[in-house]
Amino acid sequence: MPYLGGEEVVRELRRALSNPHVQADRMRYRNAVLRVIRHMAQGVDVSGLFPEMVKASAVSDVVQKKLVSLYVRAQAPRQPQLALLAVNTLRKDCAHPSPAVRGLALRSMCGLRMPGIQEYLQQPLLSGLRDKASYVRRVAVLGCAKMLKLQGDCEVDGALVNELYSLLRDPDPIVVVNCLRALEEILKKEGGVVINKPIAHHLLNRMADLDQWGQSEVLTFLLRYKPRSEEELFDILNLLDGCLKSSSPSVVMAATKLFLVLAREYPHVQADVLVRVKGPLLSACTSESRELCFTALCHVRQILRSLPGHFSSHYKKFFCSYSEPHYIKCQKMDVLCELVNDENVQQVLEELKSYCTDVSVELAQGAIFAIGNIARTYTEQCVGILTELLGLQQEHITSAVIQAFRDLVWLCPQCTDAVCQALPSCEDTIQDSEGKQALIWLLGTHGEKVPNAPYVLEDFVENVKSEMFPAVKMELLTALVRLFLSRPAECQDMLGRLLYFCIEEEMDMAVRDRGLFYYRLLQSGVEEVKRVLCSPKSDPSLGLLEDKTEQPVNTWASEFNTLAPVYGRERWALVTAHQPAEPSYTCSHIDSSNRDTESLISEENKEVLEVHPDTGSLTLIPDVYLTAEQFEKTWLSLDTNWHLSLPWCGTVHPDTIQTALHVVHIQTIAMSKAGVQPWKAYLSAQDNTGCLFLTELLLEAADSEMQVSVKQSEAKPEAMQTFISALKTVMGTVAGLES
Amino acid sequence: MAASALFILDLKGKPLISRNYKGDVGLGEIEHFMGLLLQREEEGALAPLLPHGHVHFLWIKHANLYLVATTKKNGNASLVYSFLYKVVEVFCEYFKELEEESIRDNFVIVYELLDELMDFGFPQTTDSKILQEYITQEGNKLETGRSRVPTTVTNAVSWRSEGIRYKKNEVFIDVIESVNLLVSASGCVLLSEVMGTIKLKVFLSGMPELRLGLNDRVLFELTGRGKNKSVELEDVKFHQCVRLSRFDTDRTISFIPPDGDFELMSYRLSTQVKPLIWVESVIEKFSHSRVEILVKAKGQFKKQSVANGVEIAVPVPSDADSPKFKTSVGSAKYVPERNLVLWTIKSFPGGKEHLMRAHFGLPSVEKEEEEGRPPVAVRFEIPYFTVSGIQVLPVGGIWGWGGYGAGREHGPGG
Repeated sequence: MPYLGGEEVVRELRRALSNPHVQADRMRYRNAVLRVIRHMAQGVDVSGLFPEMVKASAVSDVVQKKLVSLYVRAQAPRQPQLALLAVNTLRKDCAHPSPAVRGLALRSMCGLRMPGIQEYLQQPLLSGLRDKASYVRRVAVLGCAKMLKLQGDCEVDGALVNELYSLLRDPDPIVVVNCLRALEEILKKEGGVVINKPIAHHLLNRMADLDQWGQSEVLTFLLRYKPRSEEELFDILNLLDGCLKSSSPSVVMAATKLFLVLAREYPHVQADVLVRVKGPLLSACTSESRELCFTALCHVRQILRSLPGHFSSHYKKFFCSYSEPHYIKCQKMDVLCELVNDENVQQVLEELKSYCTDVSVELAQGAIFAIGNIARTYTEQCVGILTELLGLQQEHITSAVIQAFRDLVWLCPQCTDAVCQALPSCEDTIQDSEGKQALIWLLGTHGEKVPNAPYVLEDFVENVKSEMFPAVKMELLTALVRLFLSRPAECQDMLGRLLYFCIEEEMDMAVRDRGLFYYRLLQSGVEEVKRVLCSPKSDPSLGLLEDKTEQPVNTWASEFNTLAPVYGRERWALVTAHQPAEPSYTCSHIDSSNRDTESLISEENKEVLEVHPDTGSLTLIPDVYLTAEQFEKTWLSLDTNWHLSLPWCGTVHPDTIQTALHVVHIQTIAMSKAGVQPWKAYLSAQDNTGCLFLTELLLEAADSEMQVSVKQSEAKPEAMQTFISALKTVMGTVAGLES
Repeated sequence: MAASALFILDLKGKPLISRNYKGDVGLGEIEHFMGLLLQREEEGALAPLLPHGHVHFLWIKHANLYLVATTKKNGNASLVYSFLYKVVEVFCEYFKELEEESIRDNFVIVYELLDELMDFGFPQTTDSKILQEYITQEGNKLETGRSRVPTTVTNAVSWRSEGIRYKKNEVFIDVIESVNLLVSASGCVLLSEVMGTIKLKVFLSGMPELRLGLNDRVLFELTGRGKNKSVELEDVKFHQCVRLSRFDTDRTISFIPPDGDFELMSYRLSTQVKPLIWVESVIEKFSHSRVEILVKAKGQFKKQSVANGVEIAVPVPSDADSPKFKTSVGSAKYVPERNLVLWTIKSFPGGKEHLMRAHFGLPSVEKEEEEGRPPVAVRFEIPYFTVSGIQVLPVGGIWGWGGYGAGREHGPGG
């Protein structure tokens, strides 16, 4: 960040830091250091002050030490050479008589994210693990995880792991929990920390000493433990019973999950747990913290998916109050829809009805859709309320009501008559695309029951030129053709006009095509149109709209208390869709490996591969491009000349492979995306004699072998050999980089 | 569960303080946060959890600050939110108020605290009492040789330091109850529940062991006493220091208290509660000319009790002007920045009824958008009165008892 006067400031700060008078006065010295930090936070480049700052840490003032450590941690990655200066002082501090200083020094040292620091870290960390002050031990335990993270792929030191396992018996509760956390990080590749019987029982006994963070995390670690017998299982559940009533919502959630998962074979125990946790969950739903309240509501919805009646008697808890944010109100309305039953339906509908006239358009529409939802079970009452709302003649309300009606008519055909009676006269109030579509659909599908349906549609046809939304025009086409079938006399003329407009004047291709489609369909005779448009309406695919089947608890127990229910099912699927299986490391990996491949191949492998064309009988021509059709034709006409399998480990990065192959003049015709299974790729190459090499790569599942099939347009065994070895080299290089 | 980094942002989304605990999420990621937040707000799909690529932002808002935790793991959301609220709580105890200004002024302490609260993305010591023993504001103003780690950090009883001494040993108990009422527009009470907390202020030497009981129905049934003056508590939660096993067996609350202020327990009970102060308002709006407001407040609690500092906030249209008031008691004032009239009554005895009239002018040109009709808000405090009728009772001979509400008791020297 450019910052005017930066150099001036740095020069002045340096003067202050090295002034012996300032150094003699602790308060002034500390203020000078503080000024450096402030400037650093504002984006001034203060890296030039490194030596002065390191010197400033060699004082007895702990606060000043902390400030300097902050500076060093921020600057170290940029100046690894100078950072080694700081390491010396820090190492000295690791042997300081005060535990606070020892802990601080150790933490600062582990926080230096720079290469080569590990060798300086090992000794202080080991003595830190055995320090008599638990403050230092806490820092040292997590320090081990930090150190191994810096090392990256190096193998894990068994002695260190054992030391950490033995520290699980430490008297200090935070050290115990930190050990679990550290081991989890260190042993990530082997599946994390192992919770065997002695460890599990030890942790269970220490539960009471832990703070809320420790408890929630230990409860999560215990998920990994499988009790040997039923007796042991129930002992554990009894021991942990108090956690279900903890004052911390995170402990309650973690405990609930553990109970549900441990008791996966005992549905009655699961049901019992959900009853016991009702109170705490409900009070979290009225918690002062909106976020905790939101999280609790999301989990309530999850529980309702298995036990629809679970919270029915507490329905009043889910009534919205004025000051709540929109996201909580939405969740509450969804909960209300799900827990409604014969006893409370009246009150719930009353409440929802009062939201329908809220000034917030989103809330009002949400409430209308909620009533529409409830209407699937309590049709008559709800249709009454919705019809009443139409009387308000408010644009957003009418639109939402009509949309709710459309969905309802699909699912509950018995209410069609009531809905049709309500339809007339709302066409003037609707302005938005969604509402218009719903209205037009209703008029088209049930037009025979609405006396003025053709005239309403006629209005739309008249104004079709000024209609903004293509979707509305499409809907209008379909509706009019449908209505034409039931009331031909009234519709024929305007259908002709609409078709003429759509085919001759419409600019939107989708609408035009739809127009042409109906035009041609009509040409084939009325019977044919009827067969296409009026086939049975309640096909099973409509289950999509409903999806009210009760799910067993076990389907969601494993994702309880994760981010998944908080996002909601659909959104979570979206969020995770683009993520590879192990999200934590891959991101940085892809970047680096991509860069590596490019440089590696352009430097070394290019030479390696060009040796072949010269010495052997093969020279691949660059820039010969085969189209996919040509490839397919040739591929099908040839037999497989050669088949081999290459060892492969991990996932595939298509970009890397493509780049690598391009370097040796092998063209990629088509390739699957990363992470798709089975993963496939089609390659082609041509040598200077015009012989084609077509290749298929196939990887069935990650960590198996890659199947390679090669076809050749002319039988030239020697050239084939050379091509195969070139391909092997390239794939070998890529595999080596990626594993 | 681990938070990769923690950010404190101002309202524009500019980071004031950031702390990268794990280093697996770049500090630059936070630049996407504000855009995402605004976009979602516009779509009406705002939530306290926002995804960006592989990173999840979990955020809370406090005063004019956003506190954001970033993570890549699919972890425990309530843990992260609880932690963020804990951070707010700790900062508030240090700076009285947590806002942009106090962050800027206490730059050093904020960094020191962030260092102690979390390490490598895992919550560490978050008890502000313990933190205050070794991170002090005075320490920053004046150099002291404070390089000791308090014994608390190494103690088996993690919430209390050893070697505390007081000349005068005292304990103060406060029972604070708030009533959660939901009243429909027609005036009928839909839902009423009482949320209570028992707060202690402890100035005791050594490692005292305290025991107390409640007029809890389960206990009374256990000991065979009558039901008449007992209350049925639901959803009781205790401070970490309380021995839960003891409570389960004989319903006594036995604990070694932390030093100073703390919340011993919280409870909830859903009983039919009459609203303590009933407010009725008549708001007549004559478009283009004026608004007439009539508010009637009635104390529906016992005649012996008095509500203090009663504040009744009546919303008025945002374009109202030239206020005129008339009250039977207390004073009313117009707060234009919040669009309301604030009627304050210093003391309001039970059974009484008071009136306030207000008159506002309205401009002749009306605003386009429709305004919501926010509810009238009432805030008050009634000392020496609990809605639930809960009482704290002595158990055994360790200490006696006098009065309830804001009681005071001297225990024996420890």
